Amino acid sequence: MGGSPGGRIDRGQHEVEDWERLADAINGALGAKGLQSTDQHRRAIESLAEYRDLSYYERWVAATEKLLVEKGVLTSDEIDERAAEIDRRWNGP
Amino acid sequence: MTFETGDRVRVLPAQKPGHVRTPGYLKGKAGWIESVIGAFPNPEELAYGLSGLPERPLYRVGFRQIDLWDDYRGPAEDYLYADIYEHWLEPER
Amino acid sequence: MSDHTHEERGSTTSPYAARIRAIEALLLEKGVLTEPEVQDSISYMEARSPANGAKLVARAWVDEDFKELLLSDGKAAASELGMDPEHPAEFMVVENTPEVHNLIVCTLCSCYPRAILGRPPDWYKSFAYRSRAVREPRAVMREFGFEPPEGVEVVVHDSTADVRYMVLPMLPPGTEGMDEEELAHLVTRDSLVGVNVPRSPVRAR
Repeated sequence: MGGSPGGRIDRGQHEVEDWERLADAINGALGAKGLQSTDQHRRAIESLAEYRDLSYYERWVAATEKLLVEKGVLTSDEIDERAAEIDRRWNGP
Repeated sequence: MTFETGDRVRVLPAQKPGHVRTPGYLKGKAGWIESVIGAFPNPEELAYGLSGLPERPLYRVGFRQIDLWDDYRGPAEDYLYADIYEHWLEPER
Repeated sequence: MSDHTHEERGSTTSPYAARIRAIEALLLEKGVLTEPEVQDSISYMEARSPANGAKLVARAWVDEDFKELLLSDGKAAASELGMDPEHPAEFMVVENTPEVHNLIVCTLCSCYPRAILGRPPDWYKSFAYRSRAVREPRAVMREFGFEPPEGVEVVVHDSTADVRYMVLPMLPPGTEGMDEEELAHLVTRDSLVGVNVPRSPVRAR
């Protein structure tokens, strides 16, 4: 990344959304309990195939999921299922 | 600690798979040891849940910008520091 | 369902919004995390902001001993002002002088002294900043409206390991008679990263 060509820097600031605050919090809470580390999280982010297509916190969420699945704490299926339920609740069936 | 403040060093040009904290733009570049930061568990191994022990020495390494970039637009006195682990450094004659 | 964050769809269109809420719900149900633990983590970040950095700088500007401490042991200095830099990473403050202007970046991932300053600005995390700050720091600073005076060296710090950096800017001219609180108001977040310098009193009033 360092030294690659880059365009004009967008100096706009988006309002941090609640889900982004939550992504931060989950990451911090897991770290505080020793369930994941900064280095593990960084490695998981770097390994994302979609790295360049995701926003900063989207990468965080994807990496947190990757680590939780890796450690056998959650499965992607149950996350899919619950996320779909939440989506239905927000958007209607 | 192999190196001391003032030592001339070169960053290894190695390509290493997995999680690496030595940026590509510094590989193969020569600089100097600005200071010894301390010794820490190896993040390349922490990233995979390993202990990262034994701890590795970490240095603040200085580089002249004109040595890093052929097209550097600024005075020859401009420089850059990065924090590099000992196993990524070799002495530079 | 947890109620410490507002469960509104709001304006978000990211599929990851539902995903992180799903993860939270599952982790709470399985007892991996507790509500208080998540709430503590939220509160931790909310308590941190650039105002902390401004306080550290203003104190260093008026108190030479504190400045020495800030530059030699950043975490101890932060603790002295009641900031709780519990994160284990090292915190190092680098001083701007008439000869040297510092710029902070993390090309590998956007590391930032969050334990002191809170979340970094979006631009700091952008690919454009991470790519260009190391290679053309002066052009980047120009975009932020800052040009170092003739003869000043620009020094870039790439936070590649676990040291987090913050800039101690120079005291602007014309600040005689200002108290610490007034001085702190001059210190912008951008000046703590190094893309700019603090406000000057004439413009701030």
